[in-house]
Amino acid sequence: MKKKILSLILAISTIFTLTSCGKLPGKNANTITLIGKKSDLEKSYMQSIFKQYEESTGNNLEIISYEDSEYETTCEEKFSKGEVPDIFLHFHNSDLKRFDVAGNFKYLNDQSWVSDLTDSAKAYCMDENGNLLGLPFWESSVSGCYYNKTIFDSLGLKPATTQEEFDALCEVLADSGYTPICWPADGCSWMIQFGLDPLFADNADTLSKINKNEIKYADIPEVKNMVQWIADAEKKGWFGTDYLNTGWSEISPTMASGKAVMTFIWDTWFYTDLEKGNKYSVDDFALMPVFMDTAEKGTYEGGNLNMMMVNKNSDKLNMALDFLNFCATAENYNKAFAGISTVSCFKGQNTNIQSKMVTDAAASIAENERVSTSSSRIIGYSGDDATAAFNQLFHGKVDVNGCVKMMDDCRIAKAKNQGIKEFQ
Amino acid sequence: MKKWFFKLLPVFLLCIVCIASVIIGQFYFNFIAQRIYEDSANHLEEIYGQVNRSFGSFVKRNWGMLDNWDGYIELNGGDKSEKINDYIKKEQEFWGFSGFYFISSDKSAMSLDGAKASMENLGEEWNLLIDNGQKIMAGYKMPDGQDVTAFVIPVAHKEYMDFGYDAIAITYNNQDMSKSLNVDAFSGKAKCFVIHNNGTVLLSTQKGGNIFSNYLVYLKAKSGLNETEIAKLQNDWKNGTSGLLQCDIAGVDSFILYQSVGYQDYILLSVVPQSVLSAGFLSVQRVTMNVLLIIFLLIGVMAFTVILVRNRMQYRRNKTELQYRERMFDVLSSTVEDIFIMLDSENQHVDYISPNVERLLGIPVGEVQSNIKSLAKCAVDYNIIVPKNELSEIPLNGNKFWECEYMHQNTGERRWYRVTIYSMSIRDVKKYIVVMSDRTVEQQMNHQLQEALDAARSANEAKSNFLSNMSHDIRTPMNAIVGFSILLEKDADRPEKVREYTRKITASSHHLLSLINDVLDMSKIESGKTSLNIDRFSLPELLEELNIIIMPQAKAKSQNFEIHVNGAPPEQILGDKLRLNQILLNLLSNAVKYTQEGGNIDFSISELPSSAPQYTNLRFVVKDNGIGMSEEFQKIIFNPFSREISSVTNTVQGTGLGMAITKNLVDLMGGIIHLESAPGKGSAFTLEISLALPEPEQDEMVSRSKVTRILVADDEEDICLNIKELMRDTGVDVSIATSGAAAVEAAVRAHNDSQSFHVILLDWKMPGMDGVETARKIREQVGDDVPILVLTSYDWSDIETEAREAGINAFMPKPFFVSTFWQTIEPLFACEDTEKERPAETDAKVMEGRMFLVAEDNEMNAEILTEMLRMEGANCELAENGEKAVEMFEKSEPGRYDMIFMDVQMPVMNGYEATKKIRASSHPEAKTIPIAAMTANTFSEDVRNALDSGMDAHLAKPIDMEAVKEIVRQLLKKSDDTDSQDTDGGKEQ
Repeated sequence: MKKKILSLILAISTIFTLTSCGKLPGKNANTITLIGKKSDLEKSYMQSIFKQYEESTGNNLEIISYEDSEYETTCEEKFSKGEVPDIFLHFHNSDLKRFDVAGNFKYLNDQSWVSDLTDSAKAYCMDENGNLLGLPFWESSVSGCYYNKTIFDSLGLKPATTQEEFDALCEVLADSGYTPICWPADGCSWMIQFGLDPLFADNADTLSKINKNEIKYADIPEVKNMVQWIADAEKKGWFGTDYLNTGWSEISPTMASGKAVMTFIWDTWFYTDLEKGNKYSVDDFALMPVFMDTAEKGTYEGGNLNMMMVNKNSDKLNMALDFLNFCATAENYNKAFAGISTVSCFKGQNTNIQSKMVTDAAASIAENERVSTSSSRIIGYSGDDATAAFNQLFHGKVDVNGCVKMMDDCRIAKAKNQGIKEFQ
Repeated sequence: MKKWFFKLLPVFLLCIVCIASVIIGQFYFNFIAQRIYEDSANHLEEIYGQVNRSFGSFVKRNWGMLDNWDGYIELNGGDKSEKINDYIKKEQEFWGFSGFYFISSDKSAMSLDGAKASMENLGEEWNLLIDNGQKIMAGYKMPDGQDVTAFVIPVAHKEYMDFGYDAIAITYNNQDMSKSLNVDAFSGKAKCFVIHNNGTVLLSTQKGGNIFSNYLVYLKAKSGLNETEIAKLQNDWKNGTSGLLQCDIAGVDSFILYQSVGYQDYILLSVVPQSVLSAGFLSVQRVTMNVLLIIFLLIGVMAFTVILVRNRMQYRRNKTELQYRERMFDVLSSTVEDIFIMLDSENQHVDYISPNVERLLGIPVGEVQSNIKSLAKCAVDYNIIVPKNELSEIPLNGNKFWECEYMHQNTGERRWYRVTIYSMSIRDVKKYIVVMSDRTVEQQMNHQLQEALDAARSANEAKSNFLSNMSHDIRTPMNAIVGFSILLEKDADRPEKVREYTRKITASSHHLLSLINDVLDMSKIESGKTSLNIDRFSLPELLEELNIIIMPQAKAKSQNFEIHVNGAPPEQILGDKLRLNQILLNLLSNAVKYTQEGGNIDFSISELPSSAPQYTNLRFVVKDNGIGMSEEFQKIIFNPFSREISSVTNTVQGTGLGMAITKNLVDLMGGIIHLESAPGKGSAFTLEISLALPEPEQDEMVSRSKVTRILVADDEEDICLNIKELMRDTGVDVSIATSGAAAVEAAVRAHNDSQSFHVILLDWKMPGMDGVETARKIREQVGDDVPILVLTSYDWSDIETEAREAGINAFMPKPFFVSTFWQTIEPLFACEDTEKERPAETDAKVMEGRMFLVAEDNEMNAEILTEMLRMEGANCELAENGEKAVEMFEKSEPGRYDMIFMDVQMPVMNGYEATKKIRASSHPEAKTIPIAAMTANTFSEDVRNALDSGMDAHLAKPIDMEAVKEIVRQLLKKSDDTDSQDTDGGKEQ
């Protein structure tokens, strides 16, 4: 019922906003405009903070939403016409380059709330030059290697802290009759990016060069190492025997039954997708870093966060900054995120629900977490393309170099399609 | 038994050798394994004892260094921290530890550079340190998550950089420390752990780093140790006892060596795969095994080769023997009439079939080999392929047999085989051996025997029936004879009764005689003594005689009897007229007998085409519309003593021999007879017979030259045309009239035209104007010049007077024959040129005054004959045997006897001998006196014998006086002719 009411309100406001698009700037003295994807704006915590703001300040928020599929192109058109909202919601991904960030938005390093941001959230919102592009206000999760702690304990094993230990663990688990890693080859589009993240998150220059088409994956030895490690793991049987037929829907029974001991996924998956009533539940699992031979001590991938970016050219810049400040206030964001299962973006965030797995691994996460880089910031990257390339590898149709080449070819082709000039 | 033993002896020996080898090998390998284990254990204990000692030295050294540094710090304490710092740093670089810490009793700690730290997670070791004042070694997780091992010694409370401390410690990165436990001797495949006695891992040389939190848990989960062994292990660890185990860990056979480090509860645990530890020994073992294996293999190959060669030789011998036997069997089977087949019980596959199957059954060997069922097509009325389940029912070593007739596929020849199937086991495989023995001869013999038996039974039965019938049939006329004889005696004074009784006695006697004749005929035929008397005879005469006999019988039953002659069959034929007459009379008599009153009986004669000009094929058909006969009876009608039982036939007298005699006579003549009949519709007997034609006789009849034109009148035009056809070759022109009136008109017209017919032939019974009336009209108009004959199949005696008065010159029997025609008209034309001959003596006078010599041994017969001759006006003298007859003849005056009646079977001298003696006697009439046999021997050879012995005629008993008179007339006439010739001749001489 609440959802219906909210949807109605949002629809009315959208209609209202659309009818007044042409006069975005300075429409009303105490009204600021905010543009976002329709589905994003429907999130409860977003609706909550908007409401709090308006009720608390008496100011108005003019919420403009677009369908997800047309969001990028519609906004690009608006921006090209100079119709930039006061506040613009966007993920820090490769599409952001289409909106002239430096020319349209204010860097927020000087804001008071910056110190309250978690390192992970702050890192996500910064560009390669350390400029904070927006206020992260979003639910998030931690992706890593989630392992069955109960099985580990039954074998007297402890989580790996190095790649070598991880490999040793896999060997022992395989020798013990378990499938060490659940690798859903039929659609594991997210797994490859975990391995690639350290290569590009830790080296901004590599990311820049690959996005400028100056280098390819093939030119990066670590990429080949990663592919080689995956190929070796497959040959050693660490993915089990039925991995080629394993897709998204098979991960849950495989893990819940204990058939496989580890998988590379995110914490919220255990609350939303792990099937109940099977041998193992979420309490049996724990978190350690992902090891794919690209980071000695492993890696976690932080969540993708929606940022609130402020139009630096708006005459309501201060009002917009005030809105951000309102959102970054502990009282307000705790009220908005109360009961939401998410990793904290703010250090003072304490009403959200964080999984024990994440909290237990907090020290390791703090040391080894990386911003989700490859999937969001490598132009032309596609998890599905990478998956397709690996399936060719698993089927023996290409070797390691061939797999890397396929990943490159797909990436470059996609970048060309996007009209990126460096790839034309 | 012995053969079996020696045959399997090599196998036994081989088995014994193998078993002994296995036992020795097992013993050897156990010994080797034990040695390997002992050597490995010693080797392992030696190596890891050294590691343990080295590790203990390392621990001791660290604690010693800390003791030294404590003194140094105390001496250079206070504000000389830089010096201390430099000193420790240098030591750190030299010894490779990761940190140096001052630790207070409240577990707070400070690094050399003053950084604060915590020793909260030192655990139980802390108590040993603080409470017991012991030097300790403990695992510790640094704030950055790094696992380290801390060596701590308690010291007297001091201060450093204003930090009060009660202990000092150095830490080693665990990975670095683990290197001190590594043993190069096992190719890096050995693992060494420093663990607490509860299994918690402090240090590990695990490749890639320590991944185990508790190795005891791992052993419990993945080793092959049972609960007892695990408990012992725990106990040993708890007590600091050393030990060595060998067990499976995650599928790898491993040695586990545990030794107390000597400090706190630490255990040095070593895990080494046996394959690594005993690699050298195993290599020797492997080589030994390989050598032994090769030796065994060679022995095996040799044994196999020997067995193979031996088997091969045996196989060749067996094969040669088999081929030899097969060849011998083939040769044997080619000379015998038996077929041999070997069948597999499972699929009825033909393992062997003797090659003579093709010769005996006309079916190729290959065809039978490919499918045993192909034999079935040779079976006449039986499928050789016995159903499989039936085959399987034959017990092992049992057999099953039957007899079956097979037909040769090429020649159609049929042969009987006795098929015997033997079931047997050959090398534990069930086989069937089929033997097909030729039983044709036996079968035929059996068949013939059976037929003979059946025939005998049938004959016996038939004869029994016959005797029964005969008893009845004979008694019936005999009863009449006896009965009427008694009545005759009673009524002797009543002439009318005497005549009546005499007539009935005579009839009964004749019937009895016919019965006896039939029986004798049949007996004669069956004994093969019947022969034919071939002589020239006239077919028209034969038909006339038949007509004379049958017509009255048919007339008595108001039956319509007609004789048809189709075409122009030859009139003169060579054959046994008597027997042919007998055959036809039998058929016709039966037709009359078994046709109801008013029925029709047709007797037709036709000539069939003949390939030989000197023969004629005649077909006689006797057809009636009588009672007919059943199909069953048709099959046995020609069998002796067969009579159909029905209400009608039961009323008809007969012996049941007539048709059998007929059939036998037909066969004797080389003819065929067949029958078509249906109950209630009548019967048709067809007799086809080939008869020789005699040389044509010179025809000297006067009439031939005078008759060139005749008129034939008959209401049936076919008869007219037939006569015209018959007369075609005679040069006589035949005119036809189909009614009496037309005949009159034709005769008158011809007369008026001066073309009068030379003969007019009229049918007696024509509608409207019959033959007599027509003749009368013709005579009225054309006069008496033209001879008129009446053609009739009826007895004309009743109308003879009337007919002659009407102007009819002669009668001619139907059917029309040219020869009969000429014979009939001959007297008419001859009278014109010659004087009428003196009429012959009448039969009544031929016997008068004659004197006969009668040779008869039977007084009764002699009396009868004497009386009968007396009644005819003749006399006789009796001789009781042949000798007496000869004597009486020789003593008689010439002319005393007119003729001699000679019985044949007589005592002293039989009739033949007597006749010969008479003919050979010197009596003047020895050669000429007529002698007639008068005997009950009535067969043709009896007749022949009689004639051969010199007799002139043969008379059958009982005596038929009419026949006697006819013979007397003929013989005396002949004798008279001879006498006159002799007289003339004599005169001439």
